[in-house]
Amino acid sequence: MRVVIAEDLFLLREGLVRLLEAHGFEIVAAVGTAPELFTALVEHRPDIGIVDVRLPPTNTDDGLRAAIQAREKVPGLPVLVLSQYVEQLYARELLADQAGGVGYLLKDRVFNDESFTGAIRTVAAGGTVLDPEVVQKLLNKHSRTKPIGRLTPRELQVLALMAEGRSNAAIAQRLHITEKAISKHAAGIFTKLDLALSDDDNRRVLAVLAYLES
Amino acid sequence: MALLLIVVVCLGGGAVAYLVIRRPEDVSAAISATPSRVRARGWGLLLVPIALVAGLLGASFWWLTPVAILLVVFGPKVATRLVPWALLAFGCLGFWIAKYGALDGETYGFVPVGSHRNVHWWGAGESPWLVPEAALFLAAGVLLFLRLDAPGATLFRRLVGRLHGGAGGPWALLLLPVLAMIMELFGLGWLGMNAGPIPSVVADLAITAAGVVFVLRRPERAAAAALAGLVFLGGYGLLLAAFWPSVPGGFFGAILVENRATAVIGGVQGAALLFAAARLAPRIYRGLPDEELAARAEQLTERVETLTQTRSDAVDTAAAELRRIERDLHDGAQARLVALGMSLQAAERLFGTNPDAALALVSEAKETSSRALTELRDLVRGIYPPVLADRGLGDAIRALALDTPLYTVVDVDLPAEVELPVGSAMYFAVAEILANAAKHSGARTIRVQLTHERDVLRAQVTDDGAGGADPANGTGLTGVERRLATFDGILAMSSPPGGPTIVVIEVPCALSSPKTSSC
Repeated sequence: MRVVIAEDLFLLREGLVRLLEAHGFEIVAAVGTAPELFTALVEHRPDIGIVDVRLPPTNTDDGLRAAIQAREKVPGLPVLVLSQYVEQLYARELLADQAGGVGYLLKDRVFNDESFTGAIRTVAAGGTVLDPEVVQKLLNKHSRTKPIGRLTPRELQVLALMAEGRSNAAIAQRLHITEKAISKHAAGIFTKLDLALSDDDNRRVLAVLAYLES
Repeated sequence: MALLLIVVVCLGGGAVAYLVIRRPEDVSAAISATPSRVRARGWGLLLVPIALVAGLLGASFWWLTPVAILLVVFGPKVATRLVPWALLAFGCLGFWIAKYGALDGETYGFVPVGSHRNVHWWGAGESPWLVPEAALFLAAGVLLFLRLDAPGATLFRRLVGRLHGGAGGPWALLLLPVLAMIMELFGLGWLGMNAGPIPSVVADLAITAAGVVFVLRRPERAAAAALAGLVFLGGYGLLLAAFWPSVPGGFFGAILVENRATAVIGGVQGAALLFAAARLAPRIYRGLPDEELAARAEQLTERVETLTQTRSDAVDTAAAELRRIERDLHDGAQARLVALGMSLQAAERLFGTNPDAALALVSEAKETSSRALTELRDLVRGIYPPVLADRGLGDAIRALALDTPLYTVVDVDLPAEVELPVGSAMYFAVAEILANAAKHSGARTIRVQLTHERDVLRAQVTDDGAGGADPANGTGLTGVERRLATFDGILAMSSPPGGPTIVVIEVPCALSSPKTSSC
């Protein structure tokens, strides 16, 4: 899998390269600024771009903006955005084009290399991955005012994991229950929230997020 | 007259004889107490010699001495306070005599008064020592006036204080001699000191009185008027020198202009006056009152007070903040990094002997580093929210609203970016208000409006909760208010029972303005 990495701090950039190479990814470019990132994404058309939000030249959210621009030019170009902190605001902006192939994670998630490479693969395959912290904030917001308040604690757990972009199999593994049980929970959740249930994982994530963000 | 004196002497002698014969102990006590009594009467005793000297003016002033003695004996305090006035009155009388030649053939003090009339006030003519002596009396009166607290001294002190405190300073007093010289040019005297028809004397007195009132009421304007008068007199002197005798002569200040030579002296005097005016002008005009300036000074004083207070608050707040950060780092991330190092160290040692235990330690280390990161993240958010740095105030408030666990609508209308310090203060203020609303109000929705109009950055937070919030009730709003004060910002709250609660924050701030402004 061909990967473009954008990270301005040398140590972190080299660490990421080494980690991903160890997992068999092919690094086609490792850059340190937003304009370089844009060029690399548009020229190399990688299977995924792994992007730090804060990049030179202005050291604000240049990385995020470059990634969104690149996706405008190359629709659906998979991008996994990493950051020291997560904001719902940025998550919304990334998800706004509804094209999928988007991930938004805290940098610490890199520590867990299995879930990290899993997230890379999901996004590269056109899926959506959201950091649990963002999902938690989304759920907090709606726990008081929306039908989400009627979900059981187990259903809430499942909903959170669905929103993070996990498949039924992954959720089942995480919660130590069967996939069948997860399907049942998912059906219950979608009925309570009055959403149309879809078999497609990505659509399901988008539906859940659209609901939570409304 | 002689009969009266004999009667007085007899009565006095009889009384003394009676006392010496019948009450010797009283007399001896009186004699032994005399020095202390004399001391107690002090300056008041001066009244007696003054009266004696005044008595020399003529036989009709014989009564002054007994009255003075009676006053010294029975009203020592009154006598003391009268001394300066007596001296002043006698001094003035000397000038009066010199000017009008009254009391011909009598003696003023120790100087015989001549018969020559129309003597000018500095005492030419037959009695050259008359005016100096009068001046001595006047000077003594002036010196003792304040020292003995004569009637009117307090008023005088107040007036002098006023003149000194006034913007024109003591220069206002200059108006009086200038006025006198100008009046003299027009044939008027000063204080009515020119013999003349009654209307002209009345005019003298009226003009002089008006001058005094002017000096006291508007010292700064009076100083400016004196300056103008000096210029006029100077110009007149020069004209006199140039065009005499077409310019009428007479007295010009101290000079009686009668011929070409005296006219030239008048011209020199005029030039001196002009020179004095030129030297004085900057001093007087620097002190001129500018009402705008005065108002500005008041504003600035107030501003300095506010700044002193808010700066001290700001310093306190900053110190407390640094202490909190230090503590958070020390107990949080720093401690976790130490734990991390220890776990890794233990894992390193266990790798050969017990790989499973080593692996467990490494996962633990991973966990610890993750927690350290979370703590650092929270700390950074509290110091300076990254989204504010990335996106500015508008988006930072939007992000804040998204994180608020209530339905929150945000309207932002900012034509340009807010400077960082104000933006940060505004951000934390709104954050505190939103947190309060989420915690206490029981509201379902919150509306945040952020606007910038007429150089005022304004945030209004409205919730549809139960209301009845009291800012004094430990809601953290007082802290917000204090922090905003550093930027001259204010916070107002309306929260009637039943709601809605409206909190408004205003911070004066020009967008994208230079750092020297309050932004």
